[in-house]
Parts: sequence; C-alpha cells; structure tokens
Amino acid sequence: MARRELWSEGCFRRRCPARWCPLPGTLLAGTSGEGPCFLEETDLVLGAAVIMAARLLVWASRQLLAGAGAGVGAGTGRLTFKTAPRQVKKRWLRAYLEQERSEKPNWDYHAEIQAFSHRLHENFSLDLLKTAFVNSCYIESEEARRRELGLDKETIALNLQDNSKLAEEGMSFSRSYLTQCFEGAYPELPAEGIGALVDFLTSQELVSYVAQNLSIQDLTLCKEFPAPPDVLQRTFFAVIGALLGSSGLEKTGIFVRDFFIPQLIGKDLFEIWQVVNPMGLLVEELTKRNISSPEPRITRQLGVSTVLPVYFVGLYCDKKIIAEGPGETLLAAEEEAARVALRKLYGYTENRRPWDYSKPKQGLATEKAISSS
Amino acid sequence: MCCVCSGSRGTGAMTSRGSPSRFLTSVLHNGVGRYVRQLQRLQLLFSPTAADARGARQFVEEVAVDFARKHPDVVLYVRPCSNPTPVLVAEYLNGTVREELITSKTSEEILQLATKLAGQSGLDIIRIRKPFHTDNPSIQGQWHPLTNKPSILTVRGPRLQAQ
Repeated sequence: MARRELWSEGCFRRRCPARWCPLPGTLLAGTSGEGPCFLEETDLVLGAAVIMAARLLVWASRQLLAGAGAGVGAGTGRLTFKTAPRQVKKRWLRAYLEQERSEKPNWDYHAEIQAFSHRLHENFSLDLLKTAFVNSCYIESEEARRRELGLDKETIALNLQDNSKLAEEGMSFSRSYLTQCFEGAYPELPAEGIGALVDFLTSQELVSYVAQNLSIQDLTLCKEFPAPPDVLQRTFFAVIGALLGSSGLEKTGIFVRDFFIPQLIGKDLFEIWQVVNPMGLLVEELTKRNISSPEPRITRQLGVSTVLPVYFVGLYCDKKIIAEGPGETLLAAEEEAARVALRKLYGYTENRRPWDYSKPKQGLATEKAISSS
Repeated sequence: MCCVCSGSRGTGAMTSRGSPSRFLTSVLHNGVGRYVRQLQRLQLLFSPTAADARGARQFVEEVAVDFARKHPDVVLYVRPCSNPTPVLVAEYLNGTVREELITSKTSEEILQLATKLAGQSGLDIIRIRKPFHTDNPSIQGQWHPLTNKPSILTVRGPRLQAQ
C-alpha cells in the first residue's frame, strides 16, 4: 500500500514537502512548522538507484515550489479547469478549504441574502428568498440531528418551509417563457427543436453551472457539501419562483432571459438537438413548403485518392442550390449539407442576428415582436 | 528536466511562453444579459493597535460605511483581530479568493484598492493572449481554400432564399 502511494503522482511532494526522509520509521522534527515527516512501512527493498531518483525528484520539486512564488490568492477558479496543484496543501488547510463557506469565519446570512438580491438588480421579498434556499433534505437532516441530540418535540420541529413548491413554479415558468421566446424568435423551428433547446437550457448541468457561478451554493441550505447539481438546479428554480412571487411575470421573464439565453452563445443548433436523419427531416420540411426534394451533387472535391479526401456536396432543388456542406466521405458530406440546409430554413445560422436584450416596451407580447426581428 | 533549467533565471522572469496565460473571457457572459458585480464579499482583517494598520483603522472609521452604501451588492466584513499584517480578502462569484496586504497604506489608498477589487472579475490576473474575443468570427463564412474556386458543375443560378 505504502509503496504505491509513495510513488503515485504528487504524493511524494505531499508527504515530504521540503525534507527528504531517507529511512523508514525515521521521525524528523519539522522546522517550518509543517510537523514531523516520516515514512512508514516503506520497504528497504527500494534499491539505491530508486533512492537517487527520489533525491532528484525532491530537489526538482523544491525548485518548482521556489519558482512558483506567491500565486494570486489561495483559491481556484470554478470557471477554469484545475491544473496541477501549485503549492503544497497541508492537511489542516485542506480540511479548512473543504468546509462550506457558512462554516468559515465572517459569515452573516441575512447580509449575504440582501447582497444577493442587490447583485442581481432585483427586489426580492426576503422571506420568499430565504424559503427558496431551504431544501427538504436540509430540514430532514436537521430534524434528525436534533432528535439524536435528544431535544423535546417542540424544538425538533423546524418551522421552515422547503422550496419544492417555489422550485416547481420557477421551473414551469422558465420553460413556458423560454418556449414562448423561441417560438417568437425562430418561427420556422419545429416543436421538437424548440423542446430540445428548452430542455438543454433547463438541464441539470447548465442550471447548476449557472447557479455555481452566481454562488448560490454558498447560500443553499442542504444536507451534503458540496451541494449536488440537482439541489443547485432546484434551488435556482426556487429563486426564480421567489422572484415570481415578489416582482411579477415581466421582471421574472427578463431575469430568465438574462441568465439563460446567453448560454446559447457559441452553440450550434444540432449540438443541442440531436437529429439522427437530417436528410429525412429536410425532405419533410421541403414538402411542407411545396418545394421539390433535393438532389445532391458533388460541387467540389479534393484529394479523392488520398487518405484525407474532402468532398463538398451541394443540394439542389429545381436546379437551384439551397445548401452546400463538406465532409470526409460522400455520405458525411451529404448529411452535413442537409444540416446546413436545415439551419438556413430554421433561421438558426451562425451569422443570424444576435438576441435582442433591450428593455421591452410593454408586456410580453411586444417583447415577442421585438425578439423575432 | 525542464524544471531544472528554469531555476537560473530567477523566480518570475520567465518568458510569456513559460508563464500562464488565458484568453479574454467573462464569467457566465456577464454583461450580455445584465451586469452582475463579480465581487461577493470583502473581509477587512486588521489589528486594533498595530502601527501599520493605522490606514485600515482610518478607513473603517471614515470611509467604509460610504463604500458599503455605494456597493450594496458587496458584503463588507470588518474584523479587528490580532493579525500580524492587515489584509483585505476579496471573494468572487467564481470562487477565487484574493488577499491584498494593506500594511502602511493610507485610507484613500485602501479605498482605491477596494474600488479596484470591486470592479474586477475573479478570473486570474495573468497575461491575456489577445485583447479581444468574439463568438461569431465569420459573417459571410470562414474562408477555406475552395471558397472562390469555380465548382466542377456547370449549373449556376441564384441561391434559393429560405422563406
């Protein structure tokens, strides 16, 4: 156990940060306050060559640590991926960092909730907002804890409502509002496409990502830490439900628009909506519009006899081109051309007009009209 | 082997290829929908008696309340404690925690620093590779070597407008 642990990635640095401990069972007094550092259960079978390699590894790691210098802050950004750890994390430091924010010093829940409300430029009713952050798993775990501590029945019962009702309201409002938005903006897009877009935007992954970057996980009351994505999703929808209760339909619609629709930036329609047979779908769409079915023709080709050919297939209806798409094989190129044609038909091309985020004049109806331009 | 070589040039004087860099980006496309201030909370930790924390104490007495009023979305925690050095800790929405030393800084300098922190997002302060970013780099279609070459077919005609 110990030998594999010792030589696994980064482990050596973690166990003996700046001291090299040659002999098993040796206790070395820590000079920099890092505590005693010793190897346990190491085999003496480790040959001299391996120990030389260990010496080089530790010396090199010391150089790296000296070179890294004081990084900017001790935390890691949630937005970017974590690279290799820059500094040695002591055991107590790791334990501190793995705590919830509410258990670290300097935390005032009421002030944080007020700041949350101001940060989003919304006027929440604080009661509804506080209810929105309470999850049912938290209530259960708190009551169980109190029961274990042997308190009497009155103290056990927490007088807190959980956020399930608000979450349902928020979720259904978001879905219906987003569906309305897309129906207005992309009138040609069929119901499955709109459904796929709305499902993507209200999916657990995306909503929990948005919630994390609005630091909802700091305010959420739930059983486990870190809060799992479904809890974050429920809490975010509960916040939307709370906003619905506090400010009404219009403001909540603007809120949903401002936080969900930018997540479509840079995304292609068929990344989100998985279409298995684009050519079949295209033929259906064209028959609906009374256009003859497309004839595929090769328009350009390069490197046909090589390992990496490129074919451009154009789709012609009544001898007029509607779309052209590239591919490595003829079939792939034809499929891509069908997808390009569908994107053009639905109006979801890459060079379409960006979404309109300006303030609506009055009501949702006008907003629909503006966003369909 | 590469880590051995870097030691000779000192701690931070590597070329920009050696030091970390990132692209211009924003948290959650901030600003597209609405602008959300990325600074979540500021913690001011200072000693009530040390000489180098004088600026911090003046800041708390004179300016901190105004700052908190002007930034209602930032929670300002003021904690006099027996810190060896006065420090201003900024926490951002994406989880970054930044500590700035305010030893022997005057109250105005601390206010300037706090305002600067309030305007930053929590992304790393490292070299930004290009000062621009776009999600739609091409309007008429990305050029490829076959763009303006004639097609092998002789059929030509106006493109069908998608109505």
